[in-house]
Amino acid sequence: MSKTNDCSVDASGGCDCFRKAPLWLGVGIVGLAVAYVGAFVFGVPQHDYRPLYSLLLGTAFWASVLVGCLMMTMITRIFDAGWAPIIRRQWENLIVALPVVLSLGLLPLVFFPPARKLVWEWTNPEHVLPNGHEVGHDTVLALKSWWLQVPFFQGRIVLYIVIFSALVFFLRRWSFAQDKDGSAAHTGRLAVVSAAGIILGALTLTFLAFDTLMALTYHWFSTMFGVWFFAASMRACFAFTAVLCLALATRGWLKGLYNQAHRHVLGCLLLAFTVFWAYISFSQYFLIYNANIPEETFWYNIREFSSALVDGEWVNVKNQWWWVSLALIFGHFFFPFLFLLFYRSKVVPGRLLFIALWTLAFTALDFYFNIVPRQITDAAFPEGFYVNKFLDVSMLFDAAAFLGMGGIVLGLFLRNASKQEIIPIHDPRIQESIHYHE
Amino acid sequence: MSENASNQLYGLVCSFSKTADVLHAAEKVRDAGFKRWDVYTPFPIHGMDAAMGLTRSRVPVLTLLGGVTGFCTGMLFTWYMNAYDYPLIVGGKPLWSPIFPFPVMYECTILFAAFGTFFGQFLLNRLPRHHHPVFNYEKFVQASDDTFMIVIDATDPQFELEKTRGFLSEIGGAEVAEIQN
Repeated sequence: MSKTNDCSVDASGGCDCFRKAPLWLGVGIVGLAVAYVGAFVFGVPQHDYRPLYSLLLGTAFWASVLVGCLMMTMITRIFDAGWAPIIRRQWENLIVALPVVLSLGLLPLVFFPPARKLVWEWTNPEHVLPNGHEVGHDTVLALKSWWLQVPFFQGRIVLYIVIFSALVFFLRRWSFAQDKDGSAAHTGRLAVVSAAGIILGALTLTFLAFDTLMALTYHWFSTMFGVWFFAASMRACFAFTAVLCLALATRGWLKGLYNQAHRHVLGCLLLAFTVFWAYISFSQYFLIYNANIPEETFWYNIREFSSALVDGEWVNVKNQWWWVSLALIFGHFFFPFLFLLFYRSKVVPGRLLFIALWTLAFTALDFYFNIVPRQITDAAFPEGFYVNKFLDVSMLFDAAAFLGMGGIVLGLFLRNASKQEIIPIHDPRIQESIHYHE
Repeated sequence: MSENASNQLYGLVCSFSKTADVLHAAEKVRDAGFKRWDVYTPFPIHGMDAAMGLTRSRVPVLTLLGGVTGFCTGMLFTWYMNAYDYPLIVGGKPLWSPIFPFPVMYECTILFAAFGTFFGQFLLNRLPRHHHPVFNYEKFVQASDDTFMIVIDATDPQFELEKTRGFLSEIGGAEVAEIQN
């Protein structure tokens, strides 16, 4: 199956879509403004953590898409992948947004103490835990305080952003330099950056996930968590790339360049990481379930049931998070897995688009599942807490944050793409990439 | 063509020396409607599958069947051993649930899917086959060196010795020869 280009062969350099950059940036600014209003006008003054989580959700989702793109930029460099160059150039233009998304989303939460104390309970010594103790007198926190201390935490978040920025800078710099001077030495240089960058990036994304997401429930710990974030990021990256490249092939600069074999590769990788995500998520659950230690199981317990008064007696009833869990098992694993098994699901544009959008929607749900459930201290309940609900009016702010961050990402992408060659014209593998076949 | 002769004849072979020639010749054989024929080349030629009108392999179907069988087998035998034949509570877990024996179900899925793939390709490729009539053609060794060959099977419904011989020369094949069984 070689000559299967569906699109016309004339690739035009200039593109209408560049003009949409300000539009998307506008969407981004408006969306983020609404999310900030939610967080700092409704959230902080009312001591409500939930609107602050909107910002965290939007940031985590888009950071995961971009972290996946960053890792794939380096992975395809190190493996010298022949199919990759034309798609990698799109990733190179996307990843500039990574430090921006992290800065816009995390810095206000990390450096504004009232917000920080609401989001990360461990930073608020006066916060009362379900067991009646204050965080300041919590022995669990005391034992973890070598890592969990505020200035160190703030420094780490800044460090993560700096490391990502440095990787993004070097990966782009020499790739674009090659467009100008055509020197193959840049490819070697980028392989060296990627070799170190993969290790550095893997550590950074792991600790980013630990510090921002796992530390939301600081009593709980899972060594799988960083890998879960990586798996989620790769899925998000492939799903987003499939949507983006299809859009660019229909009405953008990849017309006639992005062919069936490229879709097949993205579809296969999406399938592979669907399995990997399920493997990691299930392994985490399975180990905690088998070990059956209360320090770990409570994290899954609050995602399954809540205490409720039924006929004058307290019983555990399934809560909304139970349905979210089931939706993830069947909607985020079984369905996409079975769907993507079929060859045509990976190559027919409409089908790949459908499953990519589906995967992105469920990736967002996966972030809800991992971020939002929380024990709200309340002495009226037998265990001293109740579990917040999945459905919440703050979902409006969530939508604003998702849309806002997405607008920023797309706006920056289009603006950067307009300044560079649309494909890496002097990449040693560019011919192979353009004529890539199954 | 006598009954006896047709039993002796395996098919007709012709040679090509250029990749593009054999690719286009294959397209013509496909378009002429032949069903039982093959192309022999020293290396893979991109686009040959489409030029020959080959559809995708049916092996994945057998892989899927193997996987589903494996998953069910894993379920059945963990249930049989742990909950039915010798009920045993381990670590306070239920006698059977889909969670704790999942690794067993998962490994069985992979094992049986691999069986489905391995034996499926044996079946669909009609393996094992220890001899093939094309080896009776002396010059066939060239097909692993510098020559491309198209062989049309005498059992093809459209096969007529003289007409097919003419067709092979027409599409550019050199050294048209008969291969005996």
